Amino acid sequence: MDRPQGEILVTLPLHDFFKFLTRRSLYMAGFIIVIMFVVIGCIAPYILTRPEEAWGTAYDLRKAFQPPSLDHPFGTDAYGRDMLNRVILGSRYSLIIAIGVVGLSLVIGVVIGLVAGYLGGAIGTTLMRLADMFLAYPPLLLAVALAAILGRGVLTTIIALAVSWWPWYARLMYVTVNSVKVAPYVEAAKAIGLGRAAIMFRHVLPNSLIPVLTQAMLDMGSAILEAAALSFLGVGVPPPIPEWGRLISEGWVYISKAYWISFFPGLALLITAIGFNLFGDAVKEYLNPRLRNIGGGL
Amino acid sequence: MPISRGYLVKRIVMLFLVVFGVLVIAFIITRVIPARPELLWAGPHAKAEQIERARQDLHLDKPIYIQLYYYLADFLRGNWGVSWRTRQPVLLDIISCLPATLELTITAFLLAFVIGVFLGLVAAVNYNKFIDKAISLISTVMASTPVFWLALILQTVFGIWLQVLPAGMRVDLSLAIKTGFKPITNFYLLDALLQLNMPVFLDVVKRMVLPVITLMMYPLGLTIRMTRSLAVEALQELYVKALEVWGLPKKLVLYRYVLKNVIAPVIASLGLSFGYTITGALMVELVFVYPGIGYYIGMALLSFDYPAILGGIVFVAIIYSVANLVVDIIHAWIDPRVRF
Repeated sequence: MDRPQGEILVTLPLHDFFKFLTRRSLYMAGFIIVIMFVVIGCIAPYILTRPEEAWGTAYDLRKAFQPPSLDHPFGTDAYGRDMLNRVILGSRYSLIIAIGVVGLSLVIGVVIGLVAGYLGGAIGTTLMRLADMFLAYPPLLLAVALAAILGRGVLTTIIALAVSWWPWYARLMYVTVNSVKVAPYVEAAKAIGLGRAAIMFRHVLPNSLIPVLTQAMLDMGSAILEAAALSFLGVGVPPPIPEWGRLISEGWVYISKAYWISFFPGLALLITAIGFNLFGDAVKEYLNPRLRNIGGGL
Repeated sequence: MPISRGYLVKRIVMLFLVVFGVLVIAFIITRVIPARPELLWAGPHAKAEQIERARQDLHLDKPIYIQLYYYLADFLRGNWGVSWRTRQPVLLDIISCLPATLELTITAFLLAFVIGVFLGLVAAVNYNKFIDKAISLISTVMASTPVFWLALILQTVFGIWLQVLPAGMRVDLSLAIKTGFKPITNFYLLDALLQLNMPVFLDVVKRMVLPVITLMMYPLGLTIRMTRSLAVEALQELYVKALEVWGLPKKLVLYRYVLKNVIAPVIASLGLSFGYTITGALMVELVFVYPGIGYYIGMALLSFDYPAILGGIVFVAIIYSVANLVVDIIHAWIDPRVRF
């Protein structure tokens, strides 16, 4: 495949970004959390010490409600299942859902924002008003309705969140495209007689991606939190999948006598979200020379 | 006011279009996609004749555009269906729950705004020093906290273990009866003040502390981050340098000139986070047993009460659209550079 012309993405050297990170300890911490989360999410099924308990297929009521100990660092739940194993496996679902939601929203949002921004006029206005309508939708309604129709599950959760998520990217893309489409190289492409689609996808698209990709990076933490919220309310991922939001809601009833069932999954959620937010900030600051030149950051 | 009448009319027309779109989407999701919508509408334990009645209520025997017409007409007439859980008209339920939620969210938003702008400015002035880094880290943690988890933890620690703050409900009912407290506006803080009922006022405040703190986290983190980054950029501007060279005290420059430039975009983004906060309110109210709209929708969710869920969420979508319009108007009003 031939490369689109005028691409800026490839000119950002990775080692420069890494050097930028090493000078900012908190950003580095965020980066490490994100890497650890992704790695654990990928290899989770292979590092479990009690896989049946993690998947929820085996239980032992005699071991129920054991507080954190050396044997069970995160304690055990109401069915005597080891919480550490369940939390580790849970990271996989948070990872899948976050990538799914942000990825799907990116695809829809970028295409709609690009078309609306480049074509403008009545088509542009109509598309953006459509985006407004979806934006006004609390993801909950979609999750409830989709759960009723398709059944609860990972895919349903991803679709429900993505449907109310893409308008943010469409809006951002719309604004970016509007400023990119008047650039001289776009005029030049028009002048040599390139078709609309070719200009849109080969010239405008690659040059409008950076803001929306940065935003996507910043949103990963929120996507994880929102998915957990849906599961907490019982309309996200169904049992016995140990998604973090679900684990917290399972511990809700026992919170006064066995706080650890809810506490540790929530802590995992909090640390992961902090990691993504710090890392997102790092990417944003790195890509924004204005912020960088003032110096500092975390 | 820098808003032209034409713009306002255009925005209000747009608002109606968006609400119309929201209703159509709700119609498609609940009436068109499911194979037998009457089953959802009549409830899990409905008998055959109840299902038949639901079929007629929903006009499912007629063509789809007639169904849509009836749906919209019913909606406008305030006929939003009957909740199976409370056996009351959904709209009535929602309106009686509204003040509780507004009291909670408005308090949380105001506090988040005032504290957030202040801390954000402090961070910006001390840019890159220890205070700045500490505030920035705290704001990141705040924006990353799972609301429902924090609610559970706070309730367990302060409500159950330490027993310093009462958890659940808006007011102690026996105290309310003993002191003759009568809700008028259903904004309990206001009602208690109007009736000069101090014990009830304090009780209401105590019960609001934990929900408000939980609900405040996200908007507070957001406000600090926004204010900080905007103020850091504003402090680099030439007009600030000019004012300083001119000999104005730093504090005056900060609060009179920098603040003005920072506050409008902060309000705009706070307004946009309103939708997120409503979902937050849902979980916070559910955990703290605080009887507002969030609790209502949450209970409806747990009991699969479809008319109530739908009514509640369409209502939230409308509130959200209206809030966006109001935020845009406020934005234009305080920032003369924004002209519509």
